[in-house]
Amino acid sequence: MSNQASSQAPKAPNKGSSTLSSWRASYRRYRREHKWLGWGIPLAFVVLAFSYPWWGLEGPLSFIFNDGLGIDNDTLFNMSVYVMLALGLNVVVGYAGLLDLGYVAFFALGAYTLGWFGSGLFAQRDVHFLDTNAARLPGIHLSFWVVVLLAGAVCAFAGVLIGWPTLRLRGDYLAIVTLGFGEIIPDIFRNGDDIAGHNLTNGVRGVTQLDRPGFGQTISDATGGILPVRYTSLELRPWYFTVLAMVLIIIFVNLRLRDSKLGRAWIAVREDEIAASAMGVPLMRTKLWAYAIGAIFGGFAGAVYGSFINGIFPVSFSFQISVIVLVMVIVGGMGNIWGVIAGAMLISWLNFRGLDKIGERISDIPGVSSDFSIAKYKFGIFGALLVIMMLFRPEGLIPSSRRRAEFAEGEGQATLYDARA
Amino acid sequence: MADGNGTEKNILEAVQVRKEFGGLIAVNDVDFVIPHGSIVSLIGPNGAGKTTFFNILTGVYKPTSGGVIFEDTPISGLPPHKVTALGMARTFQNIRLFHNMTALENVLVAMHSRLKGGIWSSILGLPRLKREEKEARERAEELLTFSGLPGRGNAYAKNLSYGDQRRLEVARALASGPRLLLLDEPTAGMNPEETANFTDFVAKLREEHDITVLLIEHDMRVVMGISDRVTVLDYGEKIAEGLPKEIQHDERVIEAYLGTAATA
Amino acid sequence: MATAETASRPSFERRLPIGQIILTVVGVVLAALIGFWLIKNAVESPDRFLEVTLIGITNGSIYALVALGYTLVYGIIELINFAHGDNFMLGTFQTNGIVNDGSFQIPLFPTSFVLALPLGAAATASSSPGQKIYTIFMCLFFSMLFCMVINVSIERIGYKPLRNQPRLVPLITAIGFSFILQDVGLVWKDAGPQPLPNILPTGTIFHWRGATYQWNDFIVIAVTIPLLVALTYLVRRTRSGKAMRATAQDMDAASMMGINVDRTISFTFALGGALAGAAGAIYALYIGVSKFDLGFRLGLFAFTAAVLGGIGNLSGAVLGGVVLGLIQAYTEGFWDARWTTTVIFSVLIAILVFRPSGLLGEQVPEGQ
Repeated sequence: MSNQASSQAPKAPNKGSSTLSSWRASYRRYRREHKWLGWGIPLAFVVLAFSYPWWGLEGPLSFIFNDGLGIDNDTLFNMSVYVMLALGLNVVVGYAGLLDLGYVAFFALGAYTLGWFGSGLFAQRDVHFLDTNAARLPGIHLSFWVVVLLAGAVCAFAGVLIGWPTLRLRGDYLAIVTLGFGEIIPDIFRNGDDIAGHNLTNGVRGVTQLDRPGFGQTISDATGGILPVRYTSLELRPWYFTVLAMVLIIIFVNLRLRDSKLGRAWIAVREDEIAASAMGVPLMRTKLWAYAIGAIFGGFAGAVYGSFINGIFPVSFSFQISVIVLVMVIVGGMGNIWGVIAGAMLISWLNFRGLDKIGERISDIPGVSSDFSIAKYKFGIFGALLVIMMLFRPEGLIPSSRRRAEFAEGEGQATLYDARA
Repeated sequence: MADGNGTEKNILEAVQVRKEFGGLIAVNDVDFVIPHGSIVSLIGPNGAGKTTFFNILTGVYKPTSGGVIFEDTPISGLPPHKVTALGMARTFQNIRLFHNMTALENVLVAMHSRLKGGIWSSILGLPRLKREEKEARERAEELLTFSGLPGRGNAYAKNLSYGDQRRLEVARALASGPRLLLLDEPTAGMNPEETANFTDFVAKLREEHDITVLLIEHDMRVVMGISDRVTVLDYGEKIAEGLPKEIQHDERVIEAYLGTAATA
Repeated sequence: MATAETASRPSFERRLPIGQIILTVVGVVLAALIGFWLIKNAVESPDRFLEVTLIGITNGSIYALVALGYTLVYGIIELINFAHGDNFMLGTFQTNGIVNDGSFQIPLFPTSFVLALPLGAAATASSSPGQKIYTIFMCLFFSMLFCMVINVSIERIGYKPLRNQPRLVPLITAIGFSFILQDVGLVWKDAGPQPLPNILPTGTIFHWRGATYQWNDFIVIAVTIPLLVALTYLVRRTRSGKAMRATAQDMDAASMMGINVDRTISFTFALGGALAGAAGAIYALYIGVSKFDLGFRLGLFAFTAAVLGGIGNLSGAVLGGVVLGLIQAYTEGFWDARWTTTVIFSVLIAILVFRPSGLLGEQVPEGQ
């Protein structure tokens, strides 16, 4: 679709700095004239991302990125997983406008799918399918790639099950209901070591010794060893590339959907349900699609995350994760894929490594006690970030132009103080 | 009377439609038909239940009792999007455009039920889908031009003038390819020239595109000028029905609008 | 053209809402099953049943106080004040400070300094009754004051500027404040459990077979009821109360009638905060321990209570609180405490899906 900036009437002045908006305006003009930028920037980004191990982890700039910013293998993987989660939630919250406070449920479900089908949890069974482990271990061991798809399917199913009775609720009620599910599902996993006498999840002890991805001897030989037989915990590059590939797939799907009939339906439903319905958009189906797709991506992320850290514990899946991912989507810029990615990278880095690094710097300042722990302030910092963003830039750092328009006049959606919204 | 030969068929029949909200009876056992190819106006004082009736016809409300039949298909209880898919479209009294979408996008949304492309074809970018999208856009542009908004596709709906927004409402309703079009106070806020243009436009819809039209209207010039038949509601009941001339002089109608003193 | 003809078709009957009927049947069956299970327990071990019921009512009163705060705010501006539960937690901390250190404390977040106003209110289990009574009153008063100020500040800083924004925005802000308040607690008193001595009157009021009801259990109700009475009086009889109810019904109309909507909203938040503070004081004194993350879970439970009773409805909040307390007590007492969280959140979801108006709320008619 051609850029709409040129044919709009002047909008209300942006709350952000005017230099920033004039930069963006000139950027957009430049971009229109030089169409290759539409391809170029994302392509550059992809190339940079894939080559990071060579210029950022080791190599010329590693002192900045690896040592200074602390973006090592673990952090990198963590950031990538959160990018997946944020992109998944972006479909639900950013595109369809459904307020979801319980996204962690799908993350957990995806991880536990791996726990069920890719570990020794059900040691009494002996099911193997394209198993790439070194030995034939007890339990259910499906090919990791099959498990990932299975995780997506399980989450899609759960998403439809959960969404079907609840997605017709209005905004804040839906938020609370999703929050409820976000608490119930991990609770079930926590108590799952004794459900009617059966151990389904190993409870608080969690599931460890999970399968890792792999391609098996045949494929590995065929590619001359580029695709490893099985992933290990020492050679981390394959992990990273795998997650990156998954991120790319999710981005691709996001983009395609955004510009599709379904994408338009999502915006219409977000704007005015009644009008959308009158125009032929099936409300429930549209919302369910968004919710299910978000769930599927959450499931993918959960499965690959569980495998990497080799441990799935109920305590890891808390409300905080739902909020963090939501913050990424909102701070990054709801509905804008690049904004969401940027937000996810920034916030996951901060959460995982960045704040600690900053904390170290702060405790170096003379006068500050040496056992200053910034970890104590994490809650407060995120809380303050949320409040400040909402007060000053609710559309996010890099919003889509549509969203910015929405927030500029607060139109098109029920306001806070609608008597009978 | 339903006629097997087809020429005098009713495109819509509402039978004993009743709608109660708690203790309030908004629509009181109304029988109502729309002959195929006609232009019917529904009038009545404010609060008579006209928009409620519209909402029942289009599926926004379920009638408390009674039923609606559209082209021989019972539709009461169907959700609005299914009713639209069957061929009935509407506009809204207070404009309900998708304000943060462009005019073109507004129209494209309304084509939702006509477009076949599904999720998988969208993700895979199949050529069949690309073609369909292209054709849809072209058709949307045509509709915009037809409705008096040539080339305005890229304007955000909320930035359009009031008159243009009204035109977009109609264009959007037409996009779903309806055979019956429900217009809820389409000329509200228009000046006489715009009203006359609009009346011609409605006539064109019927003549050239075989669209049956049901209007809720307050502007008597429109009602008298273009309606084949007028139905009058008051307090949820049908109090009169007939040719525009007949209605003009009907005592009950005058009383409903102006009060008993006027007829005295 | 053709004149109108009435269609000569059979008239359609009043539609039987099949879905509604099935749901009602399922609901009734479920309720009956639960009822039978309860009765079975009551018959098998009546003293335990009594004990558990009393526990439920006692805890329920605390839930009721917190639920009232949620419902007041939601009723007037349709916002779920996520931070309310954490405000309650800070009330427990304030009480903790008063009992343990004897002073009214203001944590100077984000530093770890605490401003202390000596009150001479420190007490232990062995203090004199007079001292204990004094301390209890100080706890109630200053916790209420403390939480009141917090609530009003949050409203002024975070919610008021966002009145015209889409719903999502103030909700996120509320979550943000929830996190901030949790952090205030964390920095004030550290991550571990914060105990305080039992200074409530001890001793048994009555016992029946194995069940005992003690003075400290009673105190909870004894404090809650006057608060409820005072609140009811305030809402029904005073001008501010009328202003609150008017604003809750229709904000524009209220402001056109000359009601200062801003001040009324702040007043509502103040009330809610005071209730949170009172609940916090009672909780801390009764349960004897507190923790910085207490507010999240308990807050959600109390919100469930508010929804259960009918959000926006004051009596509903109280009823919901008691019912929720009972649900929790019965689950923990007769089934399995592991599943409390799931049970309560399932209740929350079930209400919102099947009967969003709650037990005492009005059914909102369809359509907009």
